Amino acid sequence: MMGKVESQSDLLQRLHCQAQNRRQFVGWGAGGLGAFFMNTAYAAQQPATSSGLTFKRDPSTPLSVLPPQFPAKVKRVIYLHMGGAPSQLELFDHKPTLSRFNGHDCPQSFLKGKRFAFIRGVPKMLGPMFPFHQTGKNGTWISDRLPHTERLIDDLCLIKSMKTDQFNHAPAQLLVQTGDARTGHASLGSWVTYGLGSENQNLPGFIVLASSGPGPTANAGKPLWGSGFLPSVYQGVECRSAGEPVLYLNNPHDVSRTQRRHVLDAVDEINRQTHAEFGNPETVARIAQYELAFRMQVEATEAMDIRREPAAVLARYGAEPGKNSYANNCVVARRLAERGVRFIQLYHWGWDSHGSPTDEGINIGFVNRCRETDQPTAALLADLKSRGLLEDTLVIWGGEFGRTPMEDNHGGSNEISKYIGRDHHTAAFTIWMTGGGVKSGMVYGETDDMGYEVVKDPVEVRDLHATILYLLGFDYQKLNYPYQGLDQKLTGVKPARVVSEILT
Amino acid sequence: MVGSFAGTRRVSASAYFSGVAMATLLGIAAAMFLRPAFGHTVLQLVGLETVPQAAPGSFYTVRVAPLFEAHCISCHGGERQKAELRLDSFAAVMRGGKHGAVITPNIAKDSSLFTRITLPATDDRAMPPSGKTPLSKDDVTVIRLWIAAGASGTLPVKAIKGAPALVVPVKMPELDLAAVQRQRAPLANEVSRLQGRFPGVIHYDSRSSADLEIDASLKGAAFGDSDLKALLPLRDRIVSANLSGTGVTDASAPLLASMKSLRVLRLMNTKTTDATVAALASSKRLKVLAVAKATPAALAPLRQRGVRVYEDVDVR
Repeated sequence: MMGKVESQSDLLQRLHCQAQNRRQFVGWGAGGLGAFFMNTAYAAQQPATSSGLTFKRDPSTPLSVLPPQFPAKVKRVIYLHMGGAPSQLELFDHKPTLSRFNGHDCPQSFLKGKRFAFIRGVPKMLGPMFPFHQTGKNGTWISDRLPHTERLIDDLCLIKSMKTDQFNHAPAQLLVQTGDARTGHASLGSWVTYGLGSENQNLPGFIVLASSGPGPTANAGKPLWGSGFLPSVYQGVECRSAGEPVLYLNNPHDVSRTQRRHVLDAVDEINRQTHAEFGNPETVARIAQYELAFRMQVEATEAMDIRREPAAVLARYGAEPGKNSYANNCVVARRLAERGVRFIQLYHWGWDSHGSPTDEGINIGFVNRCRETDQPTAALLADLKSRGLLEDTLVIWGGEFGRTPMEDNHGGSNEISKYIGRDHHTAAFTIWMTGGGVKSGMVYGETDDMGYEVVKDPVEVRDLHATILYLLGFDYQKLNYPYQGLDQKLTGVKPARVVSEILT
Repeated sequence: MVGSFAGTRRVSASAYFSGVAMATLLGIAAAMFLRPAFGHTVLQLVGLETVPQAAPGSFYTVRVAPLFEAHCISCHGGERQKAELRLDSFAAVMRGGKHGAVITPNIAKDSSLFTRITLPATDDRAMPPSGKTPLSKDDVTVIRLWIAAGASGTLPVKAIKGAPALVVPVKMPELDLAAVQRQRAPLANEVSRLQGRFPGVIHYDSRSSADLEIDASLKGAAFGDSDLKALLPLRDRIVSANLSGTGVTDASAPLLASMKSLRVLRLMNTKTTDATVAALASSKRLKVLAVAKATPAALAPLRQRGVRVYEDVDVR
């Protein structure tokens, strides 16, 4: 134990000793323990997996393009994650029978042996809150909440039979985004940039754009776009659609670009010396990251600046420069797709419609979320389509789970609550995909008459992942990374299935 | 006690052994009677009954067997034979198990295999047991149709109408690196030289082919006709070319038209005109074309051929 008051000279003495010891340790390390450690670190950079596919790159260009395993249908992905989980029963999964049972007690067979996030006791069945109608060439059912998206229904492939095994937001979001309900796994975007690199070396290969309604945001936080066990250079970079796109990217006040260049040159020189001494590739990766950030100062600012778009384009999206909105993010997403960014991840939070506070009401918050996202989503699709980008881009829309066909009765009695809501539902939810290699105007999968359970063509999250990787030109079993004695895969250890029925 | 046997008649060895043989045969006969499955096995073994075989291309082989394979044989197959039932060959399926035949041809509801797979999941006798992947509605329909049509091993796929569409699993091509290397060899030096000259512009379209993709869109106006011309040695292998936003003009039209493998060509936001579009009339493989400015008349022949055409609509 140290004395209560440490004199200035004692403190300096102690710090000096610590520094000496550290230096000594590192010094010995270069030969003994350290060399062993460095070798492990180096091995991690140059993984040898059983697949025979290597993802080796020059550490100074960790995002350089690598061809996929076999010819790909799509080159990039735009993933529109509706955080909080929108209700499939109010958007795509038309259930007239459920309307008939509105207000009836939920049958015991739905409740026996089941656990829900909030529902306790016997809830009432809740019929769809909005009218449905048939639309498009194939008479696809859709509610009246998505009038803009509806116009593109013949381009979409609806999957009504998605299933998950996680009924809380954070683990369910992690499962959808990283293939595992626990933190520490590499996200979909990280896997894709690790496998393929990125075309534009002046922008990150994996960019995250988030917007939200008034409610809670990313339940699972940044691990949703983390690189997990993959090298950190493959993690998503969160950019903002208002203000500086990347925090702390711009030079501080009164620091010119030339000055910044001088600083970087000096830092790079030190890093190069460090690398010459220790040979740790992470040091080279760090130089690469500093250089990327320097190039991004110009390129990212330009790519994110939606004021460069014609007013008519902004109007189509409903985008207003300077705001943080999903509409702005959709414009940015298209600009990034055109600039060769590999994986563009959008989040729009606030879909968690339990019916307790106002913004969680299907009759209020949910309606607003639809309004915030419908027009921009449709404008993005229309833009990608008219520019021919939908030929080689995959767009995915969906939440982390579905909503129950029963009313969520948490937070008081239903009778007095004027907000209506549904609980988290793992057994069935709807997502859609569109783009290269995906059948358009298709509805895949089916739920029972109450919308409770999938009765035809179930799709697990890992099946969705396998399908996405297939479209990008990978056998999901071959895109892997050795970690903790296992060739880690996005799809995990359970067998997955490429949903061949939805592929062209 | 020993003495009490002394007076009994001694049994000759031959009588003894024939007695035992008789008893064994009787036992086998009884077992064959009580367990028809065993009976069929015996008869098939001694050649008194033909072993039923499923024909390749039959409804059974194509549609039914894969379902047993996926859902049943971990308990009813080579490793384990619960209830002495195996479902890993047509003969075994028709033979049945401990409780007799599981298939009654023509009558699905009398076939215990069918009734067991259609029990509600809550029933203890439901198959596959809880925890295992249940058969889907379509799977059950396939099995029902097969039994109703006589549970044949030879009836061809097309003979049974109304079966749900067959899901063909996606084939993941195996990577034969040596073969790929051979395909790439003739141009390998040129490719790597030009990759060095135009960083980030030239890539193989996959690790399993020698086809090339070029993308100069990020180079902007700095990439012009003369640069494209430098890629001439690679032209036969180029399957996709993204030249949007580059300085390429109609002067490159002959070169673009001579890329005989070209499937995707992007020229948005360039100075190319109808002249380039007209030259592309001879590009037989072209599937996708994104153009800058072109008249409907120039695009019509391509559209007619099924080329998906995209036009630059925004004023920039």
